[in-house]
This record gives sequence, structure tokens and C-alpha cells, in this order.
Amino acid sequence: MEILDSIFLNTKKIFLDLLGCWLPDWMILLVNIGIIIGVIAVLGPVIMMYLTLLERKIIGRMQNRIGPNRVGIFGILQPIADGIKMFTKEDIIPQNADKIVHFLAPVLMVIPALLAFAVLPFGRGMIPVNLNVGLLFFIAVSSTSTICVFMASWASRNKFSILGGMRSAAQMISYEIPMVLSVVPVILSAESLSTYAIVEAQARWSGLHWFVFTPWGLLAFIIFFLCGVAECNRSPFDLPEAESEIVAGFHTEYSGMKFALFYMAEYMNTFTVSALAATLFLGGWEGPVLPSWLWFFIKTHALIFVMFWFRGTLPRFRVDQLMGLAWKLFLPLTLINIFVAGGYHLISDRNFRVAGASAVLLVSFLLFTVFLNRKYMPEKRRYDLVD
Amino acid sequence: MELLNLAGIAGVYTLMLVILIAAVAMVTLRSLFHSALALAAVLIGIAGIYLTLQADFLAMIQILIYVGAVMTLIIFAVMLTEHLSHQTVRQNNRQSPLAIAGICAFLFCLTGVIVRTPWPLQPQNQTATITAMELGKAFMGQYVFAFELISVFLIAALIGAIVIARKDK
Amino acid sequence: MPKSYTVQNTDLLDTQTLEVNFGPQHPSTHGVFRMFVELDGEVIVTLKPVMGYLHRNHEQIAENLTYLGIMPYTDRLDYFNAMTNNLGYAMAVEKLAGITVPERAQYIRVIVSEFTRLINHLSLVGFLLNDLGAFFTPILYAFREREKILDVFEEISGSRMMCNYLRFGGVKCDLSPAVLETMKKITRNFPKFLDEFEALLSKNEILCMRCQNVGVLPKELAVNSSITGPVLRASGINYDIRKVDRYSLYDRFRFRVPLGRKGDTYDRYYVRVLEMRESVKILEQALQDIPVGEILNPKTAPFAKAPRNFKPPVGEDYGRIESPKGELGYYVVSDGTPQPWRYHIRAPSFINLTILEDICLGHKVADAIIILGSLDIVLGEVDR
Repeated sequence: MEILDSIFLNTKKIFLDLLGCWLPDWMILLVNIGIIIGVIAVLGPVIMMYLTLLERKIIGRMQNRIGPNRVGIFGILQPIADGIKMFTKEDIIPQNADKIVHFLAPVLMVIPALLAFAVLPFGRGMIPVNLNVGLLFFIAVSSTSTICVFMASWASRNKFSILGGMRSAAQMISYEIPMVLSVVPVILSAESLSTYAIVEAQARWSGLHWFVFTPWGLLAFIIFFLCGVAECNRSPFDLPEAESEIVAGFHTEYSGMKFALFYMAEYMNTFTVSALAATLFLGGWEGPVLPSWLWFFIKTHALIFVMFWFRGTLPRFRVDQLMGLAWKLFLPLTLINIFVAGGYHLISDRNFRVAGASAVLLVSFLLFTVFLNRKYMPEKRRYDLVD
Repeated sequence: MELLNLAGIAGVYTLMLVILIAAVAMVTLRSLFHSALALAAVLIGIAGIYLTLQADFLAMIQILIYVGAVMTLIIFAVMLTEHLSHQTVRQNNRQSPLAIAGICAFLFCLTGVIVRTPWPLQPQNQTATITAMELGKAFMGQYVFAFELISVFLIAALIGAIVIARKDK
Repeated sequence: MPKSYTVQNTDLLDTQTLEVNFGPQHPSTHGVFRMFVELDGEVIVTLKPVMGYLHRNHEQIAENLTYLGIMPYTDRLDYFNAMTNNLGYAMAVEKLAGITVPERAQYIRVIVSEFTRLINHLSLVGFLLNDLGAFFTPILYAFREREKILDVFEEISGSRMMCNYLRFGGVKCDLSPAVLETMKKITRNFPKFLDEFEALLSKNEILCMRCQNVGVLPKELAVNSSITGPVLRASGINYDIRKVDRYSLYDRFRFRVPLGRKGDTYDRYYVRVLEMRESVKILEQALQDIPVGEILNPKTAPFAKAPRNFKPPVGEDYGRIESPKGELGYYVVSDGTPQPWRYHIRAPSFINLTILEDICLGHKVADAIIILGSLDIVLGEVDR
């Protein structure tokens, strides 16, 4: 199992040793960096393509039908067919559009999505760049995609696009705050900002020390995951792409490869947010028997499956309800969570701290849902049946 | 290794050049939205400079706050005022050549002063890195008064914004 | 002047309203329908529905056709519920010409009408949830049952949707025992399917948040605007033409009429779910009691081969039924010739659409789409 675990690292080391016979040292460094960048540049789009296929098949099964199965055995070649279609579509630019900004928006949207791959620990020793501030890097980089949404919606000079763009930007900013704050207890407990160190802090007792098994960790995980779903503009928070209301929101006027870039950015965001949630709360590459990178993929894909499940089942929120959820429910809960996590860290008596933390969190959750959000609870209706 | 060093220095100078060009573009572009985007480019460039000075935490916070939040606010404001966002504004007038000559003279004198001042350099401490932990301890220890004062300011601004934006029921 | 929603401008900013066309081509305006909306931010200030994109000149064409020749055209009015359209027209002409319908034919008519009601309400729930964003899953579940019913329709009339099944004085083809068995099986399985279907929907928080207190239709407005159908009953008024007119054997069946209390979108949705359950009860009773007999009044049988000989007496008459969308009425004026002198349809979707502005004011754009969805319009009927 040890061999399988570090199979990728060993392959790279062998390759670099081979090259080191006849290349100077500084070039080996550059080749090393080049290999890492190449792997991510290939991995990102390939993952995105197969996530689209996976989503269509999973949602198809939920809707009592088979997904695509014509191209290739289980529809395996379907993403390639989609890619060819996107490549060969005509690129339509509206006449009044601002051409430079219209061109740059999808390009700049993919950049943060790809950059976020750099701090994900794919396995034991397999992190592309081990930054000291890895988590902060991820959050900072994903917050720059808001501007790209603005650029896309403004450059199209279309009322629907502007409406969609502003909704989307407002949603993304509102949901960044609970997302960042819900990660703070994890940083507290792991005492480091580096994603690799966070995974190692969950490495004790092989499974029982994951942060999700603590009371504050469970709440933080749920809030982080839901905020991640909102950040990726996916159902049930997919207002910006609400097809039934404003046709396609900020990417209405994009066709062909540019639309494919937006699509790619959304799915890569899905993958990275799930991967980060798995890293921070579910223990990253920790696991008993299988190699570490396999555990990472299993956990990430379990969370991605939950995201697809949401899309196939739930209807969509309205704008003010969406904002209300972020500001009135998630934000206060994350603030209380930070205090509870701090207390949890300081008290060392295990039973007392688990019970105390759970009690405080439950009480505050009930308080906020009942008092602040009462008008969003479903009312009970009575219907008369008369003759 | 010298090649890598040289490449590094060339990279830093290129970054500074890009920041300067973006700053000039921000001031001279005609469309307000394009100026806002150029400002975003300047801020990202400054984050790059922080990275060259080994301040990684500060660079990330710069991107998160400035580009992620402040620029979004500015662009919101630009897009919501419908008249402004579609207009192009002329950025120079008859006095421009005279102004540019005056600025060049000023820059010449300033450069002379900067080059002749003996700046105390401490090359040994350039490799000291400030981690997030030390920053946090400084905030809560030595600079706690300033920290609390800033947070009171922010709350005052927040409450003021809510009061202004609220519709009277 | 319809009242418009005035926005208080208490701030120092002078804002403008945004005029948007939810144009004829839009993924969820249920057909070619345009809404001209003025928005202040996200709130609707005025809304003007613009119809007529699907006007096919049905009434004028009918003045040149024989009475029986109009029957296939009535299928295409409300293209989801072909059988009830046929029923309304057949009833109007039967009243005009004084034709009686044998009992087995009347039972068959009731059975297909109630199946049509089931189809319509299933489609409505599916499309409403599609507008809400549930990405086709409820539609595909609903269409599973709808397919079974459409297969039955294909067996008895030859076509799934444009059935052209009813004739003056009866129906065209008889139901074989195999078809009766299939119908009984569908009716038996339907309540279980309905439980499964609405388990995820009626208590879903997001549905409730989006639909409750949205688009409230007050009782007086509903009555004054001649709204009929489930929309009226959701506002609390007890008016079901099956109970009021007691046409075509409905007084033999025991069923009740669900009424809502508030009149918002959630009530309109849930009243239809309850109506589906009542229709299943009617179906069970009808399928059990159906007698043997003839299916077409022998006096009108020769007219099927020579429709130009069918000349009803001079006069006018109005026949109305409770179609799944409301009161569907046909006004036929005859002058003794084989072609009608004047032929007018009271389309429930058209009349129900007139209050769209009043109940949408003050809500947001997203709500307008849902309110339109809950009013259940079909453009074939609105534009004729």
C-alpha cells in the first residue's frame, strides 16, 4: 500500500533524476514546476468535462431516466462531443457590446478557478504548492471572480444580463462572509493556515479526529458547504442562471467557446469547493486502507454527489430570501461558532466540552431560526372540502 | 542560479512597470468602468509587490479585501448610476501640456532628492518573515487600542449605511 | 386606470424605472406570451400582458365549416385538455339541437373528462415547479403518470393529445374491456403516486417560502373579474360548475370541492392537488358503475357520414363546462344552415389573465413568473 500511496511522487522523482543527468540544476527546478503546472492544467478541464457527464447521468437517474448513453459505452465520449460542439459554434458578439471587456471576462473567470487547485492536498506529500497561507490564498482567489461576473454582465449591454450580474455579485459577496468565518474555527484548532498542516492536524486516531465530528465542526461544515454551493452559483442558489426568469443571467450573450469557459469555471469551482470542504473538515487524504489520493477523490466526489443531488431535487430561492439566509442565519451562527470553538479548544475535559458546545450551538440555532427568520417558516394551511 | 536571480529581478521590475501603466490607464481612460478595472489591476499588482517583500499574509489580505470587496463596491456604484456607466468622459483639456511639463519638472527634482538621501538599509533582516501568528499577537498585544478603535469606526460606518439605505416604513 | 404600485421616493436619489419585456420567446411564459413590465429595482411597478401571438382565427374559420367539422379545431384550443374542449362544444350544440346522449356515452364522457383533469393538474404542478427552478425532476415524475393516461387516450381515440373523440349525441368509439381494465389500474395506483409525488413538494420549505403570501387574490376582485376554476376556489369561493349546473351525470357521483382560504399561489397549487384526489374518487365510481349500452344517439349517427345535412334549428345557445382551467363556454348561434352563424368561446385562461397585473404589483420579478404559472394559462385558449 505504501507503493500505491506515493506512486505519483515516485514517478516524478524518477523522471527528474533521469533528466538530471544532462540538465543543469536550475533547469530541473523549472521542469519540476512545469510538471506540476502541466498536471493541473490538464487535470482541471478533464475533471470538469467528466463532472458534466456525471451530473447528467446522476440527475437523469433521479428523474427516472438514463443520462447520455449514445456516445461511447456509458456516454464516456459525451464530454468530448460537447467540447467539439462548443469549439465549432459561432462566436456571436452583440453589436453594442464592449469588445475588450466582453472578451476578457470569461478568460479572467477561469483564472481563479484554476489557481485554486494549487493549494489542494491531493494526497500524502502531493500538494502543488505548500503555501503558509494556503487557505487564505484559496479564499482570496475565489473572491476575485466577482469582478469577472460584473465584467461579463456589463459588457453585454443587455438589461437581463445586468440584472443577473448584479444579483450574482450580491449573492457571491454575501456568501463569502459566512464561508470565511466558518473556516476560522478550523484555523483555530489546527493552528495553521496551510491546508497541508490542517490535514495533518486531523491525522490522529485515523478517522475519529476529523473536524466534522466535533460539534462546532459539524455546524461549520454544513455552513461552509452551503456557502460553497452558493459561491458556485448552483442550485438551490442558482439565481444568476435562473433559466426560467432572466434567460441566462450574466452569460446570456455568450456563445461557443466563451460560454464553455464560463461553464468550465463553474464546474472547476464546484470541484475545488468540495475538495476544500473535504480537506478542512473530512480529513483530506486520511483513511485506513486505501491510498491517500484515492481517499481524497472519494471524499470530494461524495460531496460533489450531494451538490448534484441538491440540483436535481430542490427549487430555487428568491433574491431576498437568499440574502436573508446569508445575513440573518448563517452569519450570526458562524460568529457564535467561533466563540464555541475557542472554548472547546481551551477546555480539556472531553465530555464537558462536547456537551457544552452542542448545547450552546443548538440553542443559538433555534433562537436564530425562530426569532429572526420566523416569517420564512412554512405556514400551516387548512383547506375546506365542501359539497 | 544567477540566471534565476536575474529573472527574478526582471520580473519584479516588470511588475512595477505594469502597475505604473495600469495606474496611468486608470486616470486617463475615458470609460468609467474601464478605469475601475484598471484600478483592480493596480491593486493586484501591489499584492504582487507585497509578495516580493515576503509579506504573504498581507498580500492575500490585500487581494481579499481590496479586490474582492472594495472593488466590487466601486463597480456596484458605477453600474448602478446608469448615466455614468455608459458615458465616456474626456480626460484632457487645453491645459494638459503645461501640466505634464510641470509634473515632469517636479518628478525630476523628487528623483534627485530620493537618490541623494542616505536611506538606512539593514540587509540582514530582509529575510525575516512575519507570520499570521505574530501579526495576531501584535494586534491583541501591542496595538490592541488601534485595533479596537478601527473596529468601532467600522461599526459606525455600517450602522450609518443601514440608516441611510433603509426605507422609512 | 389600473392602480399602479407607487414606490416611495424618500431618499435623495432620483431613480428611474426599468422597462423590461418578458418577450414572446422566453423559457417559461408557457407559450408565446409577452409581459411588458416596469421594474423599480426588482419590484414590479406596472405590468401589461400582451397577447395575440398565437391568434389563429379559430372563430372566424368556424363560421365556414360544418358543425362536425369544427370538432377537431376545438381540440387545438387548449391543447393540453382536448377532451374537455370537445365536451363543451358537444354540449353546446346538443343543447341547441335538442339531442340526448345515451347513458354509457355520458359515463365515458365523465371518465375522459376526469382523466383530462388529472393530466392538466399534473402538468400544472410540474411546470410550476419548473418555473421555481426544480430542474425538471417533478415534471418527469408527473409525466410518468401522464404518459399512462395518454396511452389510454391513444387507444380509444387514435391520438394522444388531439383526440377528436366526442360527437354530437355520444362518443366515437367504444371502450373495450381491456381499456377499462387499464383505466381501473391507473385509478388504483394514482393515490399512491400522488402521495409519493407531493411528499417532497407540499411541505418543502423552499416551495412554501416562494409561494405563500405571493400573489394573493382577494375574493371581491376574483368575483368582480369573473375568474373561474381552481383560481377562484383557492380564494375561498365555492363555485364549481359541476355542482352548480349538474351537467352530464355529475350529480350521481359523490365528490367534494376543495376550497382555499387565502388565495395565494400556494393555495392555487394545493387546491389543484386536492382536486386531483377528488377526480380519482369520481373515476373510481364511474368506472365501477359504467353500464352497457350504445355510445351514440342513433339519430345523429347518419350525420357522421354526411355532416352537411346536420342543420340545427334557428336559435342560439351557450354550453359551459368546468374545464380543468375554469369555466369553458361555447356560444353558438345557428341560422338553419349547416354552418354556424356565430361561434364564440369563453376561454377561462383569457379571462383569468386579466387580473395578472393586479395581483403582481408590488412583488418581484421572480414572483411574477410563478404567479403566471399558478394561473395556469394555455396560449391556444387565450388567443384562439
